[in-house]
Order: sequence, then structure tokens, then C-alpha cells
Amino acid sequence: MPSAAEIAWLIPVLPLFGALITGLALISFNRSINRLRKPVAISLVSCVGLSAAISYAVLAEQLSGGPPVEHLFVWASAGSFTLPMGYLIDPLGAVMLALVTTIALLVMIYSHGYMAHDKGYVRFFTYLALFSSSMLGLIVSPNLLEIYVFWELVGMCSYLLVGFWYDRDGAAHAAQKAFVVNRVGDFGLLLGILGLFWATQSFDFQGIADGLANAIASGTVPTWAALTLCLLVFMGPMAKSAQFPLHVWLPDAMEGPTPISALIHAATMVAAGVFLVARLEPLYSQFPSVGFVIALVGTITCFLGASIALTQMDLKKGLAYSTVSQLGYMMLAMGCGAPVAGMFHLVTHAFFKAMLFLGSGSVIHAMEDVVGHEPVLAQDMRLMGGLRKKMPITSITFLIGCIAISGIPPLAGFWSKDEILGNAFNTFPALWFIGFLTAGMTAFYMFRLYFLTFEGEFRGGDKELQLVLLSAAGKDEDEEADHQEAELHESPWSMTYPLIALAIPSVLIGFLGAPWNSRFAFLLNPAEALEMANSFSWGEFLPLAAASVAISTAGIALSVFAYYLNRINLNKLIVQRFPSINSFLANKWYLDLINEKIFVKGSRKLAREVLEVDAKVVDGVVNLTGLLTLGSGEGLKYFETGRAQFYALIVFGGVIALVALFGVFGGS
Amino acid sequence: MSATFPWLSASILFPIAASLLVPFIPDQGEGKQVRWYALVIALVTFLITVGAYLKGYNPAEEGLQLSERVNWLPSLGLSWSVGVDGLSMPLILLTSFITALAVLAAWPVSYKPKLFFFLLLAMDGGQIAVFAVQDMLLFFLAWELELLPVYLLLAIWGGKKRQYAATKFILYTAGSSVFILLAALAMGFAGEGLPNFEYTHLAQQGFSTGFQVLCYVGLLIAFGVKLPIVPLHTWLPDAHGEATAPVHMLLAGILLKMGGYALLRFNAQLLPEAHAQFAPLLIVLGVVNIIYAALTSFAQRNLKRKIAYSSISHMGFVLIGIGSFSALGTSGAMLQMISHGLIGASLFFLVGATYDRTRTLQLEEMGGIGQKMRIMFALWTVCCLASLALPGMSGFVSELMVFAGFATDEAYTLPFRVVMASLAAVGVILTPIYLLSMLREIFFGRENNELVSKRNLVDAEPREIYIISCLLVPIIGIGLYPRLMTDSYKVSIEALVERDLLAMENLNKFSIPNGSEVSLTPALITAPLIVPSKAPNS
Repeated sequence: MPSAAEIAWLIPVLPLFGALITGLALISFNRSINRLRKPVAISLVSCVGLSAAISYAVLAEQLSGGPPVEHLFVWASAGSFTLPMGYLIDPLGAVMLALVTTIALLVMIYSHGYMAHDKGYVRFFTYLALFSSSMLGLIVSPNLLEIYVFWELVGMCSYLLVGFWYDRDGAAHAAQKAFVVNRVGDFGLLLGILGLFWATQSFDFQGIADGLANAIASGTVPTWAALTLCLLVFMGPMAKSAQFPLHVWLPDAMEGPTPISALIHAATMVAAGVFLVARLEPLYSQFPSVGFVIALVGTITCFLGASIALTQMDLKKGLAYSTVSQLGYMMLAMGCGAPVAGMFHLVTHAFFKAMLFLGSGSVIHAMEDVVGHEPVLAQDMRLMGGLRKKMPITSITFLIGCIAISGIPPLAGFWSKDEILGNAFNTFPALWFIGFLTAGMTAFYMFRLYFLTFEGEFRGGDKELQLVLLSAAGKDEDEEADHQEAELHESPWSMTYPLIALAIPSVLIGFLGAPWNSRFAFLLNPAEALEMANSFSWGEFLPLAAASVAISTAGIALSVFAYYLNRINLNKLIVQRFPSINSFLANKWYLDLINEKIFVKGSRKLAREVLEVDAKVVDGVVNLTGLLTLGSGEGLKYFETGRAQFYALIVFGGVIALVALFGVFGGS
Repeated sequence: MSATFPWLSASILFPIAASLLVPFIPDQGEGKQVRWYALVIALVTFLITVGAYLKGYNPAEEGLQLSERVNWLPSLGLSWSVGVDGLSMPLILLTSFITALAVLAAWPVSYKPKLFFFLLLAMDGGQIAVFAVQDMLLFFLAWELELLPVYLLLAIWGGKKRQYAATKFILYTAGSSVFILLAALAMGFAGEGLPNFEYTHLAQQGFSTGFQVLCYVGLLIAFGVKLPIVPLHTWLPDAHGEATAPVHMLLAGILLKMGGYALLRFNAQLLPEAHAQFAPLLIVLGVVNIIYAALTSFAQRNLKRKIAYSSISHMGFVLIGIGSFSALGTSGAMLQMISHGLIGASLFFLVGATYDRTRTLQLEEMGGIGQKMRIMFALWTVCCLASLALPGMSGFVSELMVFAGFATDEAYTLPFRVVMASLAAVGVILTPIYLLSMLREIFFGRENNELVSKRNLVDAEPREIYIISCLLVPIIGIGLYPRLMTDSYKVSIEALVERDLLAMENLNKFSIPNGSEVSLTPALITAPLIVPSKAPNS
């Protein structure tokens, strides 16, 4: 029997196969396939399930010390250049494979419940399988070029899924924004890859790192050029992992169905940027200044996300900014030269954030029965409250998620976030301080979400408030008000089961990365883990850990007083005293506005002007010449009476006749 | 028979001869019989070209293959000489393939169907001839011969402004092709003895640099109109804006490629020293094409013209590839031509199919039609993604090859490469902006009530799905495994680039082993210094 790593190429291929067959069937026999919901869903879920099984086997093999496996073939070649493709299995990849397949599988099961009444059920599952395939392909890519290929493909899946409900204008714009902003990052990534290829003749991660070191040593590549290339490549992760200032697409992407927000825009695809930086560790570790830039961008993102999350009233948007903030933490770790810590946070975050998003989906699903399908209403926390009694499983798992992300021991988030902060403290103390503050903000806004949604009185029946919200969003009153009578209820098993399944790792997985014996680090980088374990001292660990727990507790306490006990009126205390801060945060630092003004309007204006030039100047010259020549002769008459065709036909016939004549008489 | 069967002459003459029989096909005037006839002929032609590829063509061989030569007018030096190498074989296959699909796309044509299909078939032969002939005078004839059917197809079946568009097209292309004739005569008569226009003969002439530059400029204008190169492009949005879907497919799928092919064949292959001078200009023009046309496409509100401008933008990569002096880049240019032939044809077909239903091309009059036309929406999405160079489809591979070839190419100075590659990469951002905005305005959002109430928006029919699938199979096939295509012309391209590099070395501007010191200034600056000093070789 072959080892699991030898058949690892099946991991991305199986879901692709399923997606292709269903996709073709959807185009050829649309109606009949749409009726076969269950069989299609089951076959696609089993494709991903098989991939998951192989992934676990691969992970087990790597855990027991299996060697990395790499297989390549020549994909394209010209002249002396060859572009290889293939797959690579190593500990980092094995961890990601297991993570992605697990969450994809759970999200697919969840979607069976969430999308049960949707017309596009089959299409949704097809896209999910296609996305899983692309994401898994990205993970097993052995070189930068192949990463780029799958990088674009996951971007495409994200586009398709954000725009899944294509009759909604918001979804249409968000999908396009997501793709275009990501392309801005890919612009840098592509140039960076090309430049690195020019400098090192290699696409391979290790090859690039070694080649660049040699090239700098021998002087063929100046250091500034090498730095530029590293930063250009980093633009890709900046866009994909929603780092400032390219984070603007991620909150908008919440227009997609909630399972997608959980899978793609929280747990897996947005982490691809972090993953790529981890892959490029041999390259980035040579340039401390690049590391600093990465850490700085990460810190800004982390703070920005958390600060905007403070004022969000939309449940999903709040979670989205929280994701932005947590991705910032991961980047901070990468910049501090601690990819293991960053990857660990990626893993823990994937579990609890997927759970939180799926929980929010469960809430929205329930709310839709009361307030209708308009997202402006169904996702607004001002209309929620008191859901704990009606939805016990959802509320408990959501609470677990909140505790985990706030960094309260012993849940997962504590271990991973603490490791990042510890690394930051040793490398960039100033950045540590911002990250530390953000931890407090995180705890505050997460519990704010929890209390507003699940505690207090249910406010969904308030018709006046609904009208106010609708008119604030510029929408008409919902025409189909047929859901109004329904009761709130807990979601079906297919939705609650994944929540429970995700709650378990959210609680427990942190222990794998305990700093005195980090099994996670031993898998990814044994040497570093050993050093970590040896240099570990309680005296260093405890004060930092205590500090972060303290600030998180403070955040939670503030949230309890403000939103649960209603002892503090934040509105009076802060909003009315500092209206500018509030509007600054509520308007998301005005970044969307700036984008709209400068880039969107600017590019439109530029394009219109170029077209104007094209029509008036370039074509104008042509028309003028044409008119002059035509007008001076009799030619105009022919062309205007339509006899031109006849004229041309005669010419055509004449040429043919000539050719024929030559053929007969002219031949030798 | 395989060795001696005249595959190429057959593929040229068969559709032309068959087209002459069209008037005698019994038909009620609605085209129901004649379209079957045309389809059979087009398919047989496609099979002949496939046969030529499988039986007579060896991709590993560098030189001319399947050659046939008959002296025609010895006194003029004209001979019927056809043959293929890696530059022409893939394009011949593309031509017969797209034409067969165009015939299928022309199924609903009911106005003067006989004339329509006659012209399509005549064009088929004429276009294959353009790629297959190995004699420059013959090339000129074929080039001209293929213009007239296009002119008529535009002028009779086009949109409202068809007369204007057709006239503009014919004036532009016929006018510029005078330069081909001039260059052909100059080159053919340049040697001693009888004039000889055969490519192989011309290639051995070793013209002086000044002479080459003169011919090069003329040919660049002629082919630049065809490709098109900004600012010689303004015929294209008009012609494409007025053409019907099948004609559109041919225009975008094949006609533009004639420009690229001719640039490779004549400018790069026969005039290598001038090419070494002009290559930087080609790169600059390519970048201008990419950005300029992407912007105009973004601002354009008419669907057909939007896609037409996007074609111009994509042709920019062909220019960069041709000017890149690297096997990878030139190979990418070749692949970009094939890839755009397929993708452009599919997009234009979809435009036509959508127009049949909406009866409007203005984006603001559409909106939300994805709800009624789901399959059409899916096909559009796939083709747009192909066009914006999504990996897994052919456009990505070709653009990547051009980028990688140019970026790693030591013939240019580093700053030049950095600036040009960065600017070209801006196209990577602009392309999705205009394509996805377009998709959004047509299909996404709420249904446009006015449109929905007036028009019966039926979803794609099997014939349309079939045509797009036929185009998507090679698009995705090449995207997944590009060597399917690149291996068929690899050797020829490598030989061509070798020749160009040698010419550059002769100009003392390039040293092969480690050429990092080389800098090429655009010919516009250096050429005037060279031209007057030397007379044509005699």
C-alpha cells in the first residue's frame, strides 16, 4: 500500500472532480440536477470527506516523523526555461490540509441546513467543492508560481460565492470589490514572483531564498532590489489576508452566504496570506527590515480591525472586523520571526472563528423567520437580544467562541495569542503594547456582540425600529412580509452539530501549543521547539500571561457593565463627549470613502477621458482624412447609396478571375 | 498517400471551390439547406487541416514542412508555394476550427443566406492561405483576397452604421496593405537575377540594416493596423461594433492574429536586424495597447465595443512577446494569439447571443438578466474569467509566459524592464475591473423591468452551449497543460529567437554569454542615423 503522502495529489483532485461533474451537469441538465439535491450534496460531501481522510493520514504520517514528499513535472517550457508544477507534503502543509478539510467538511454539513430553502442549493455545493479543491491545491503547491495559480483560483471562488445571491446589488458590488482589491495585491505578487525568478532563476521556496542570498553576496542583485521584491511579494498576502490598507474588501464580502463567511472569509482563504508568508520564511528571515514592515502592517491591521469592531451593529460585520484584527495578530507574529506562533494562531483562530460565524449564521437563520430575508434587518443586533433562551446550543457555543478569542485560559485563543504577544514583546516592544491593548478591545467587543445578541429582551418585534433601519440603509419596506408570525427556534441538527464539533477544538487545541511543551512547534520546526522549551521560564511567561488575561478581563468586565447589567451608559459617557471618535470608527476610519473618492471615481474619470480622446482625437483625425479624400472625388456617391457592396463584389470577382486566368495560362 | 497528398493546397482550395457551388444548392431562401452544406464543408476543411497536422507535420522539426511548390508566373517570380512551420500550423488549425464554429453560429442567418455562407467559406480558404503561403507576393494576394469577404459581411449584415464601419475597415486595411506590396516588391527585386519572393529565399538575403529598417517600418504599419496597434486601431471598434456574431468571431478569432503572425513571420524573421532596432518600440507600444485599450473599454457603454477594446488590450501582450527576444516571451506571444482567438471568439459569440434576446447593447438598458438566463450567465462568467487570465485557462499561461520571458530577458536594461513590466502588470488590475463591472451591469442586481417586460429572455439553447463548450475545451486544456500547444511550435520559435539574437549580436549591441551591459534604444532614435548611410544590398 502506498504511503498517504504518495496519494496526496488526490486531496485537491477529488473535490475538483466532483465540482466539475456537477458543474457540467448544471449547465447541461439544469432542471433535473437541481431536483437531485440530496444525492449531489452527499456525493460532494463524500469527495471532501475522502480528501479529509487522506489529509488525516498524511498528518499522522508527518507526526510520526515521515519525510517531506515532493513530486514535480514540467508544466511548460520554452528555450532554456522550464516551469515545474507538482505537489509538496511537509509538516506545515499537512497541518493546513487537515485544518481546511475539517472545516470545509463541517461547513458543508452546516450548509445543508442553512441553504435548505435556497434555489441555488446545488450550485452552492458545487462552488464549495471547487473552493475546497483550490484551497487544498494552494496548500500542496511546491513553488511560488503554483501558489499564484491557486491563489487566483481561490480568489475566483470567493468572487463566485460572495456574489452568490446575484440579484442583490450589495452582493454584486462586494464580489467585484473583493476580486479587484485582491488583484491589486496580485499585481505586486506577480511582479515579485517575476522579479525573484529573474534574480534567482527559481520558483521554489528554498531555491529562491538561497538564490537571493547568493545573488546579494555576489553583488548581482543589489540589496534594495531584493527588499523591493520581498515587499512586492508581500502585497499578495496583504490583499488576501486583509491587511491594512487592502483590508477593505473583507467586511463587504459578508454579503455572501454565512457558511462562506465562516469557511472562506474567516477560517481558510484569508489565512492563505499568512500561510504564504510562513512558506516564504527562509526568504523573509534574511531581511529583518522586511520583517519589521510585516509586523508593522500586522499591528496596524490588528488595531484598526478591533477599533472598528467596537461600533459595528451588524453581527456579521462585527465578526468580520474581528477577523481582520486577528489576521493582523498572525501577521505580527510572522513579522516577529515567529512563524510557528503565527501558524498556531491561524489554526486556533480557524476553529473558533468558524464556530462564531456559523453561530451567527444560526442566529440569522432564526431571525429571518421573524424579520424576513432582508440582511439589513436579519443581521442587525439592535433587533436581536434574548436569543439564549430560544437557541441554547447556538448561544453556548458562541459564548465559548467569545471566551476563546478573548484569550481567557485555558481556551485555545489564550495560548496562541499569548505566544504571539510574547514574541512581539521580545522583538518589537512598541508593537507589543498595541497588540496588548487590542487584546482588551477584542474581549470587549466580542462580549458586546454576545450580550447584544443573546441576553436581555428580544427586540425583533419592534416595527418602528425596523423601518428606521431600512430607511437608514436606503431600502424600501420589505414586500414579502410573510415570515412575521413565525417563532424563534433553534436551528436543525445539521447546523448545530458542526457548532458542537467546532467547540471541542476551540476549547482543547490550545494545549498542543503550550509553550513549555509545544507539540505544534515540534511538528513544524523541531529545532525551534526545543529551543523554546529549553528557554521557557515561568518567570517570563507568567507576568505577560497575567497581563493579557488582566486586560481581557477588564474588557469583558466593561462589556458586562455596559451591555448586561446596563450600569454604564457608554452612549452618554463616550459617544456624546467625543462624537468625532465615534463617527471616525463608525465610518471605518473613512477608508471606504477615500477609496471611493480617489480610486473608484478617479479611475472612472480617467477612463472616460481616454475614451473621449480616442473618439475625438485619434478617430477624429482618421475621419477627417477620410472625409477629405472621399469628399473630393465621386467616391462618396458609391458609399452612400449602398452600391459599394456591388462594387466590392466586382473587385472580388475580378481578382478571382485574374487568379484563375493566371492559373490556366501562366503556369509553367 | 499521406506523404504526397497536398494537404495545404487542399485545405485552401477545397473551401474556395466548394463556396463556388453555393449558388447551385437548392434552397428556399431561408438558408435551411445551404447552412448544412456550409457546415459540412467547414468541417471537412477542419478535418483536412487536422489531417495535415497529424499526418504531415512533425512538431520536433524546425524548418518548413508539407511544402508544395508550383511555378506560376516565373517572369514575375510568382510561385504557388505553400508550407508550414511552427508559426503557421497552430494558426491554420485555429482558423479552420473557428470558421467551423462560426458557420454554426450563423445558423439563424436568414437574410441572403447563400451569399453569407459563400463568403464565409471563401474566407476560410483565404485565411488559411494567408498562414500557409510561403511566398510574399502570394501572401499579399491572399491578404487582399480575404479583405473583400469581410468587407461585404460587414456592409450587408452589420448593424445600423454598417456602411461607415465597412468603409472604414476597407480603407484602413487596404490602404495599409499597400505597404506590404511595396515591401514585398522591394525585397523580392533586391537580389540578383529573377525576382524571387519566397520566404526562404528572402531569409538568406542578408539585407543591409538600413534597407531592413525601411521595409520594417512599412510592414509595421500594415500589420499594426491589423493587429491592431494603438493609434492605428480605430477601425476595430467600429467594425466589431457593427458586425454580426459569426463575423465577429472571425474578426477577433482570426483576422487580428494575421497581424501578429505577419509581424513574427516578416518583421521578426526576415528582418532580424531591423527587429533588433525596433523591438523596444514594440514593447512600448504593447504596454500602451494594454493600458489605453483597457481604459477605453472600461469607459465604453456599448457591449460590443467594450469587448472590441478588450481585444486590443489583449493584443498588447502579443507585441511585448514579439519584442522580448526570449524564447519564452515569443512563445507566450504565439500562445496569446491562439488563446485570444478562442476566448475572443467565445466572448463575441456570447455578445451576439445576448443581443438576439435583449435587442440592445447599451449596458444601462440591461441589468439583472441573470435571473432569467442562468446558463447564459454561467457561460459569460466562465468566458470573462478566461479573458481576465484566470489560471487554469489559456490566457493566464500566455500572459505569464510573456511576463516571465520579458522580465528575465537580458537584452533590455533593468530599469526598462522594471518600468515596462510594472506598467503591463497594471493591465492585470484593469482587466477584471472592466470585465467584472460589465458582468455586474448585465446580469447582477435587480431585474430591469423595462427590458424584462418587453423582451422574451429565453435561456441559452443547446446549439449555443455546444459552441461555447467547443471553445472552452481547448481554452481549459491549454490552461491545464500548456505543452499541448506550445510543444507544437517550440522548435520554430526557438530558431526564430536564435536568429534575432544573432542579428542583435551582429549589431554589436549584445554579447551572448552575459549581456547585462546591453541597452537597446528605440529605433526611432537610432534608425535615422543608419538609414541614409547604406543603400539596399545588391
